[in-house]
Amino acid sequence: MILNGEFIAFFILSVMAIGGAVFMINATRVMHMALSLAFTFFSIAGIYLLLNAMFIAVIQILIYTGAISILMLFGIMLTKHRDEDRPAISTRHLGISFGVVFLFLGGILFVIYQTPLMGEGTAPLTVQELGTSVFKQYVIPFELASVLLLVALVGAIILAKKEEE
Amino acid sequence: MNPVLVMGPILLLFVVLGFVTMAILFERKVIGWIQMRPGPNRVGPWGILQTVADVLKLLIKEDIIPSKADKPLFKLAPAIAFIPAFAVLAVIPFTESLQFSQFAVGILYYLAVSSITIIGILMGGWASNNKYALLGAMRSAAQMISYEIPLVMSVVGIILSVGSLNLVEIVEAQKQVWFIFPQFLGFAVFFIASLSELNRTPFDLPEAESELVAGYHVEYTGFRFAFFMLSEYVYVFAMASLTTVLFLGGWNAPFGLTMIPGIVWFVLKFLLIVFSLFWIRATMPRVRVDQLMEFAWKVLLPVALFNILLTAVLQEVPYLDFLYRL
Repeated sequence: MILNGEFIAFFILSVMAIGGAVFMINATRVMHMALSLAFTFFSIAGIYLLLNAMFIAVIQILIYTGAISILMLFGIMLTKHRDEDRPAISTRHLGISFGVVFLFLGGILFVIYQTPLMGEGTAPLTVQELGTSVFKQYVIPFELASVLLLVALVGAIILAKKEEE
Repeated sequence: MNPVLVMGPILLLFVVLGFVTMAILFERKVIGWIQMRPGPNRVGPWGILQTVADVLKLLIKEDIIPSKADKPLFKLAPAIAFIPAFAVLAVIPFTESLQFSQFAVGILYYLAVSSITIIGILMGGWASNNKYALLGAMRSAAQMISYEIPLVMSVVGIILSVGSLNLVEIVEAQKQVWFIFPQFLGFAVFFIASLSELNRTPFDLPEAESELVAGYHVEYTGFRFAFFMLSEYVYVFAMASLTTVLFLGGWNAPFGLTMIPGIVWFVLKFLLIVFSLFWIRATMPRVRVDQLMEFAWKVLLPVALFNILLTAVLQEVPYLDFLYRL
């Protein structure tokens, strides 16, 4: 392990990301939870930047830190936001949660060790290459995702209309 | 470490602070002139020290934090609102040599980082524990999110023409024709949306002093209030620079007048944009809330989408494609 600038930056960003997540779990107010989550999203964008994935990093900030966090904050503000009580969690519930989390972690680690990761010295992916691969190689999954989003949008409008009547 | 790299941002901060001081005075003078009154004229010759006096007053004021406020968030909010305002300046190329980074996705970086300010505003409004502040913050956030979408869409035409998200390459592509001519629709949408992003009249609903007291910063005094105001004016600086870079050709000289250095051209175009902002503020009334949202989603967004389609089609038209494929 070499102590260079990249390592220090990675260390700080990881601590920020994990710290945000821990704060999110421990905070009592919903508002603080949402803000900690936004902080974690932001730190992850920093890690992407460190990996030379500038486009992904910027999109992470635009979508997650900018849009999704603010959507959550809106949801909290428009509903009951003075809620501070926490329901007691049973031991059985806790056990099941930990089990599921460990299974998930195991699955993720398995996938990571199975994937042949590229070694050092690979050129960073340009936006152009990314666009070509999305619109040529992966065009069908992309279009399917778009249709899914459109369906969700139409559904949201129908639900909002129903409430109006 | 390169000393220029360390000192550059600090110098830029002082330039920006100087700009903010003068811009506030200039704004009051211009509006006074349009409304046929003298404007500030007591502090210093021609009222030139008025803003300095105002800022000094804010700095020595008592720092009041409401007892029912969420204190950590209340203190943190002005910083979160201000830091992105300054951070976006990192990607703006002022001239060929005067630029801080050649970030490959510069324009997206600007749009992404500037959206973090909304979190600061929401935080400030919520932490104040005041219904006017909360209302103002929500209005502000709703407005900024709605207008961010046409803002992003209106520059897609430029990105299509240049084939790059790098702001330096976008300026270099405007050597022959500035994008304000082939992308006029895009410019109109961008300018209106940027007015709204800056919370300036006719879209100054978040502040709306006559109905909402002052919006999200009612409970703020002293230097915390000054920070919110500062971030607003730093965004004026950033947005005027971005408009210059995207649509007015950046440091490129018009009519081949290259003996005048690029920075002078940049400053002239930049000042033109800043003046237009003040001019619009002095002439336009404020829009209603329902009109505001309808305008963003039903007028600006379709026009921006049409502009993308138009650019894509015109790229294939012979004799015209030189304007759209650079």
